[in-house]
Amino acid sequence: MEISRRVFVKTTAVALASAAAAGTLSTMMGCSSGEGQEAPAGDSGTTKTLAVCRFCGCGCGVIVEAKDGKLISVTGDPENGSNRGLNCVKGYYLVGALTGEDRLTKPLIREDKSLKGTMDGFREATWEEALDLVASKLRETWKADKSRLAFWGSGQQPIVEGYCTAKFWKAGLLSNNIDPNARLCMASAVVGFMNVFQTDEPAGCYADIDETDVFVTWGANMAEAHPMLYSRLTARKLDNPNVLHYDLTTLTTRTSATATKVLTFTPGSDLAIANAIANYIVVNKLYDEAFINDHLQFKQGTENIGNSTADDYDVTEPGNTVDAVESITFEQYAERLAPYTLEYASEISGVPAADIEELAKVFADPSKKVLSLWTMGVNQHSRGTWMNHCIYNIHLLVGKYALPGSGAFSLTGQPTACGTAREVGTFCHRLPADLVVANEVHRRYTEAVWNLPEGYLDAIQKPGFHTVKTFRELSKGNIDFLWSAHNNWAVSMPNLTRFLGRGDKKGIFDAFICVSEVYPTLSTAYADVVLPAAMWVEREGAFGNGERRTAIFEKAIDPPGEAKWDLWMLMEIAKRVLEGETIDGVDAFDHLFGFIYDKEAADFKGDQREVCRTAWEEYRTFSNPWLNERANAINEEAGLKMDAKQLAPYDVYLEKHGLLWPVREVDGDWLETSWRFCDGEQADGFDQVGIATHGSQDLANGVSFYKSAGQKPSVVFRPYEPPAEMPSDEYPFWFCTGRLLEHWHTGSMTRRVPELDRALPEALLDMNPADCEKLGVVDGDMVRVKSRFGEVEIKVSTAGRTQPPEGLTFAPFFADETLVNLAVQDTYCPLSKEPDFKKTCVSIEKI
Amino acid sequence: MKITSIIAACLAGAAAVKAAYDVAAPSALPLLPPGARPEGGFESLCVKCGKCIEACPYQSLHPAPASAGALAGAPCVDARIQACRLCAEFPCIEACPTGALAPVESKADVRMGVAVIDEDTCLSFQGMRCEVCYRVCPLIDEAITIDYRKREGDALHAVFAPIIDEEKCVGCGLCVERCVVSDPAPAIRIRPTGEPEAAQ
Repeated sequence: MEISRRVFVKTTAVALASAAAAGTLSTMMGCSSGEGQEAPAGDSGTTKTLAVCRFCGCGCGVIVEAKDGKLISVTGDPENGSNRGLNCVKGYYLVGALTGEDRLTKPLIREDKSLKGTMDGFREATWEEALDLVASKLRETWKADKSRLAFWGSGQQPIVEGYCTAKFWKAGLLSNNIDPNARLCMASAVVGFMNVFQTDEPAGCYADIDETDVFVTWGANMAEAHPMLYSRLTARKLDNPNVLHYDLTTLTTRTSATATKVLTFTPGSDLAIANAIANYIVVNKLYDEAFINDHLQFKQGTENIGNSTADDYDVTEPGNTVDAVESITFEQYAERLAPYTLEYASEISGVPAADIEELAKVFADPSKKVLSLWTMGVNQHSRGTWMNHCIYNIHLLVGKYALPGSGAFSLTGQPTACGTAREVGTFCHRLPADLVVANEVHRRYTEAVWNLPEGYLDAIQKPGFHTVKTFRELSKGNIDFLWSAHNNWAVSMPNLTRFLGRGDKKGIFDAFICVSEVYPTLSTAYADVVLPAAMWVEREGAFGNGERRTAIFEKAIDPPGEAKWDLWMLMEIAKRVLEGETIDGVDAFDHLFGFIYDKEAADFKGDQREVCRTAWEEYRTFSNPWLNERANAINEEAGLKMDAKQLAPYDVYLEKHGLLWPVREVDGDWLETSWRFCDGEQADGFDQVGIATHGSQDLANGVSFYKSAGQKPSVVFRPYEPPAEMPSDEYPFWFCTGRLLEHWHTGSMTRRVPELDRALPEALLDMNPADCEKLGVVDGDMVRVKSRFGEVEIKVSTAGRTQPPEGLTFAPFFADETLVNLAVQDTYCPLSKEPDFKKTCVSIEKI
Repeated sequence: MKITSIIAACLAGAAAVKAAYDVAAPSALPLLPPGARPEGGFESLCVKCGKCIEACPYQSLHPAPASAGALAGAPCVDARIQACRLCAEFPCIEACPTGALAPVESKADVRMGVAVIDEDTCLSFQGMRCEVCYRVCPLIDEAITIDYRKREGDALHAVFAPIIDEEKCVGCGLCVERCVVSDPAPAIRIRPTGEPEAAQ
């Protein structure tokens, strides 16, 4: 009898559960090195290692089984508190994501630049040759004009690599031209967090889902984009039939399908709805007065900020004043809200006033815990930062924040957008651990941890190019060197008609582009050098998910062919670029990376576990200042509270299947924090140590926002301002893009999984049947979607997976043969610089 | 290995063998195009001219194999390879010169067959978030709905069980084409109209 994969999966899950019950994971995890450890349950020669799913921000734990250097299975980790052994269909078929037939296994060098845009014109090269070429181009650009180089990273770049890349770019090259693709998904949430709380983090965690009474989803198709979290949300609703779910959306989705009530609003009008809810709460005195008195301050900021469509927006009025705020009184805040009556919001949004009132009453009901969850509808918004503010404003007014079951949570879409892009700080304006380049004390602190001379980082006090700026400059011929890793910008960036040089064949065609990748993608097709990378469990790494959970994935197998660990590529390129340079009289490379890499031997000092541990220990110093005397003194003197985001020693994460930071050492044990700023026993997941160290006890609701200025988060009034484009006679439809369950992001991994490709083989344009009738198109017809930015041909569907209202259309962005971003605007939120992928205006015509 | 898991393996193995047998012995009745009425004279009206096969823009139709007996050569759909896409204008029906494919009002009136889910092999019934069949269904929330259920022994997750409404399912087979499971067979199949329920 041949045992099917399903049966195998079932039996291994049971076996693993019992093995895990018998001891820690490290005893059952077999061995990546294979030394001195017994193979766990299963056939001899089989290893089982721990990992986190490669795809979305849910961070589902998985167990990887390998034999003879090949993956046999990836199954849900029954011990993982978040997913309990379950996965969505992407995680279930994860093995296939690594075993596509066209894995890149040799470095490629482009010989014919005129063939850019295709995978033709390359030749295979040795690593030596490829690294020499990339390093020489980087060094040449660096020496000539530092503003003409850039690195584009990712919320998929594992933590240690992100840390070392940031260190190389910021301290090694003294350049801030480094930004991650997380700019496209999380930047508005980040600026919202920083403006409101002065700390970039959610106060709550996924366990809030299990305790809340009301879910409010804002611009979020969780049912498809966060499958296992949505399973958790659904379990909560089944557990208690009184639990409510309000879905605020511009189109009916699979998430709307299970909501108690759906509020379908005109794109961009969510600002008016949120302000109307806040106004209703204020006018009817439904706010939590004690909470306001103890915890809140009120502000307003620059308004009438226009749109960032023009290239010089950031440096001219109003773009260069968008961050300004001033303090106001509660009464002034109430006055600013006053125009936002239910009727006014209803008029702008199209949502019945009674529905907005109902939701406002639910928010204000003292007996109900309320959890707001949002994704790209809020963040990819021409006023994304403002919309984040508006949601916090509501939660803060009614005192429903930082409490189990009550919170406001921006869900991440990538496995380590938080862990790497945000916590490490691979942005053009950041340093590790929430520090920013523009702040002098932050630079001093970073210099201390990196053992740099005082003042060394003053050269980078001005932020570099953010993502859209980078690609705009690239298209204008102002970037000579671009290196990208863990992303697929040629599919995921907006305004690709411009950025891919589809018109003038310039910019991208002239620049030298290096792409580290695991498969050929549209981005590698525009590369001059392609570096084949080890993928996921072909090396050791760590991810930090949306709920502050840091988790390690162990190496399970070797990469195919000559594919290499990204960190090795970075070391080899850094070594070459920094040749002959010194820092403080010491060889620059050795100064920065000598602690993990032996440049003479062209190899790491120790195995991957040791390298990750050593690099982690240095990174961890940022949040454990007492590990570095000089840093500790700066922290004490400036009151930086760097320990507020304390991370644990590396091996603790292996033992405990990942932990939510801050992780506190209590009586010799390392304890995580589920609920930030909420007082209670550390052992129960509350922020006992943080509040005892920095905060105040016995304030309203038992919370203390000790990271916020004056220990008071800011309620900032943000008005409704219309989207960058509104439908017109020429471009009468809204065009919204997004993700669907079967494929993750640009599909470069999931489309190589035969089962997933079968399940969703093509990208379709979902349309309202009435619009189809008006245009004379039927299900299955090809149409041309055209905007001011570009056009794309796509097949129409009225099947109903998403159900747009009249005047709105939706398409996913996973398919590079249906490159929807050719038509999407690159207008971004002026504060966060995150593009609005949801509201391009288009015309549609039958082909 | 625990006793319980051995039993589970044996039971699932038996199910796998049974499913493999089902595949090896396809139903005598093929899945016929929209408008075909197996009990309304399709067999006698269809002259096997192939015009509907030519008219299908998706190449969903092909001649039934010899194993289809009297219907060998008549148009049929192999849903796993290419399901019927329920075209708005039904070009296959328009092309039929004999009335073997009779006009239908709309896609909801098609009666090719009814989808049947194998709950033992379906990933969704095991708590995985799949439901591919549901999301691709051209009659989503009608022919296939989701029954949200508590998952036994797991307070944190729900089972999203796809459920077929036999009255509303038209049997186009898109769910079969897209089902991620293939070992030993797709977790969903179409019982063609005219095939008795017990035959599955």
